[in-house]
Amino acid sequence: MGTLVRAESISKQVEVDISLSPRVNSVKPSKTIAMTDLATALVQAGVPVIRLAAGEPDFDTPTVVAEAGINAIREGYTRYTPNAGTLELRTAICHKLKEENGLTYTPDQILVSNGAKQSALQAVLAVCSPGDEVIIPAPFYVSYPEMARLADATPVILPTLISNNFLLDPEALKSTISEKSRVLILCSPSNPTGSVYPKKLLEEIADIVAKHPRLLVICDEIYEHIIYSPAIHTSFASLPGMWERTFTVNGFSKAFAMTGWRLGYLAGPKHFVAACGKIQSQATSGACSISQKAGVAALGLGYRGGEAVAKMVKEFEERRDFLVESFRELGGVKISEPQGAFYLFLDFSSYYGAEAEGYGIIKDSESLCKYLLDKAQVALVPGDAFGDDKCIRISYAASMSNLQAAMERIKGAIVHLKATVPA
Amino acid sequence: MASLLQGSCSSTRPAIHSLGVSSDGDTSRSISFSSQLNNLSFKSLEKRFHVQRLRMGTLVRAESISKQVEVDISLSPRVNSVKPSKTIAMTDLATALVQAGVPVIRLAAGEPDFDTPTVVAEAGINAIREGYTRYTPNAGTLELRTAICHKLKEENGLTYTPDQILVSNGAKQSALQAVLAVCSPGDEVIIPAPFYVSYPEMARLADATPVILPTLISNNFLLDPEALKSTISEKSRVLILCSPSNPTGSVYPKKLLEEIADIVAKHPRLLVICDEIYEHIIYSPAIHTSFASLPGMWERTFTVNGFSKAFAMTGWRLGYLAGPKHFVAACGKIQSQATSGACSISQKAGVAALGLGYRGGEAVAKMVKEFEERRDFLVESFRELGGVKISEPQGAFYLFLDFSSYYGAEAEGYGIIKDSESLCKYLLDKAQVALVPGDAFGDDKCIRISYAASMSNLQAAMERIKGAIVHLKATVPA
Repeated sequence: MGTLVRAESISKQVEVDISLSPRVNSVKPSKTIAMTDLATALVQAGVPVIRLAAGEPDFDTPTVVAEAGINAIREGYTRYTPNAGTLELRTAICHKLKEENGLTYTPDQILVSNGAKQSALQAVLAVCSPGDEVIIPAPFYVSYPEMARLADATPVILPTLISNNFLLDPEALKSTISEKSRVLILCSPSNPTGSVYPKKLLEEIADIVAKHPRLLVICDEIYEHIIYSPAIHTSFASLPGMWERTFTVNGFSKAFAMTGWRLGYLAGPKHFVAACGKIQSQATSGACSISQKAGVAALGLGYRGGEAVAKMVKEFEERRDFLVESFRELGGVKISEPQGAFYLFLDFSSYYGAEAEGYGIIKDSESLCKYLLDKAQVALVPGDAFGDDKCIRISYAASMSNLQAAMERIKGAIVHLKATVPA
Repeated sequence: MASLLQGSCSSTRPAIHSLGVSSDGDTSRSISFSSQLNNLSFKSLEKRFHVQRLRMGTLVRAESISKQVEVDISLSPRVNSVKPSKTIAMTDLATALVQAGVPVIRLAAGEPDFDTPTVVAEAGINAIREGYTRYTPNAGTLELRTAICHKLKEENGLTYTPDQILVSNGAKQSALQAVLAVCSPGDEVIIPAPFYVSYPEMARLADATPVILPTLISNNFLLDPEALKSTISEKSRVLILCSPSNPTGSVYPKKLLEEIADIVAKHPRLLVICDEIYEHIIYSPAIHTSFASLPGMWERTFTVNGFSKAFAMTGWRLGYLAGPKHFVAACGKIQSQATSGACSISQKAGVAALGLGYRGGEAVAKMVKEFEERRDFLVESFRELGGVKISEPQGAFYLFLDFSSYYGAEAEGYGIIKDSESLCKYLLDKAQVALVPGDAFGDDKCIRISYAASMSNLQAAMERIKGAIVHLKATVPA
């Protein structure tokens, strides 16, 4: 009968039904956040964990951008902004999308939120009715299925293969689409795999999507600028016939090392963006005014973030190369070399079944991560959280020296396992 | 498929946008009063461009360079059931007018006109300088949550531990997540009117039913325990209290809260969200009481508070929830999939704000003193004006005045002033003062006037309002 607690207080006993809503019960917590927060707590308690779990750059926000934030505070720019974001920022976003993505939007087709996660969630809430299906290629950003559940929609997971660089197979997409399919969520460059969807593949997907009037697309482009030659970023909305049905989601966190500022945006047809804005007006209102000023400065850094961003991307690329080579040396690990973002999503399943003294049998990604956290003091995220239990996500948004140290520790712990992998 | 003309009528644009690849042809509208006032019609469905309507759901035919595609652009029932925030709409409209050069005196927004206290601003600046610009834990930094626990203990007599605190991007989010965490479809959320515009929409977002409980200006808009008793049903899941109140400024006396607590205690399913965001903006002799501090109420109360109003930090986006861990963790789970941690810079500033001293120390006391002077000025001015019923606010920075004696008056060029919306439209246009129709808060007889504006602005606004109202007086039907 629900969940009653008897709570005692000074003068009387009361019974309170503390049961939670079906909606919140159906939602899983974010495992990346859980792992990151756990690792942070360990570090604060003095345990020297090398944290490769978080999804954020290890760089400081570029100086010009930080200064814009400081000036905003100094000038008293600390009040509510319009719900959709300041006109100044929305205009700058339109300019960016035109110059860098070939997309034409007007300021009233832009909604600024407290991060791209919120942008994507509101898009799902705006268009998904109970029972609708949200097609989510796996491995996926942990929040996508939960966004569907928050909308009472059904997440439909579409597996991909590491041998195909975790890219969606158009044939598989075709056979997955049903009359209930309402949204397809693409993320390119991808978290957690770092895969970049080639334009040609996106065009094939667009051809399929075009045949289904009910199917809309959320294209999460938050890692757009963290991309390695020869890969090139293509915005799904730029493909013929796709503008009308695409929610372009992007933001500032990753490219500009602005994770703590909380700034993301949605661009799309006004009808949809207004609906998302309506939800936002009753949930969080306008985003942080200081961050919005900083965002304008970020967009003023130059084409694709100019020198400031190019520098960061170059460092990410070096680290990627180091890790890919190191894991190839280690052996027993399948690798799809990432073309963007700052994650490696590695298939460690050849080690499953190994037994580690004091830890029991390493049977899945979670137990492997637990083992590595404890034995190697390296924090990673189990691939299970992203819909692929064979893999583990390693963030390389950490200094080269930290990565080198982590690699040594991981090697030591893995080698220890190798000996016990059943034949 | 839900027809788009129901439910969404109140304020969204038509559900179908016009042909074309790029925008829906929203050509720049002239920012003249009349065209803006057409926009101000929250209730009517505006059609300003040619639309095509197909019978089967809502399909648009969109042309692009190479092919024609059909797209079903219908919205979810949930978003259709939710109304947009009218306070935001009015504020944004007034801001747009001002930016277009129209000298509107804006008394619509729910934010202090003061700057964030220097100490707090400096903490924010230092946070940026020191690279404190990364994700924080989802629930907020331990430092901030600890400071919040300390504040709640010292100022509210409430005992919480840091894992019973959830920091969000504003108290609105804190309240919404609380509703989402505990309300199942069909549950009822009891909301005394006049209410903060978002409460009923929060209920709808949770598929719960808002149950509005009217109050009387003659009773200072305070909840009547008898009315509460007869409203509670087996479906009642949440009661939302806001004290000091937006929009009325009423403060719930401890004795009344105790009566309410006695009633609540008899209903195991009934939880309470107590929105205390205006806690520090309070005028002697009123005293603030946290509902969770009452005997037996801690276990079932979500204490919502924040930084925006007391510390003039509206743009920083920082609020919090305090409550039993079970509930707070559930809210945190939602947050982890919606917005993650709040702005790291703002959280550092928040710690500094809580370090300003007891109840915000001198910095806050100064602001409150000014608010009180302005309140006194306006109350007196409206008493002089006459024809307006007033419940003198004990907190917050709003006046919620009953102007209904003017309804039925006719204003040349505006037609009959029949409700709060048309009166606000008239005052915006004729007096160039932006206010918010009481209809948005569940009481159409009234209008909300924010006095978070300089005394000189208030004096000017008063003159303009008087002029416009006097003009109406002459035409009020006998």
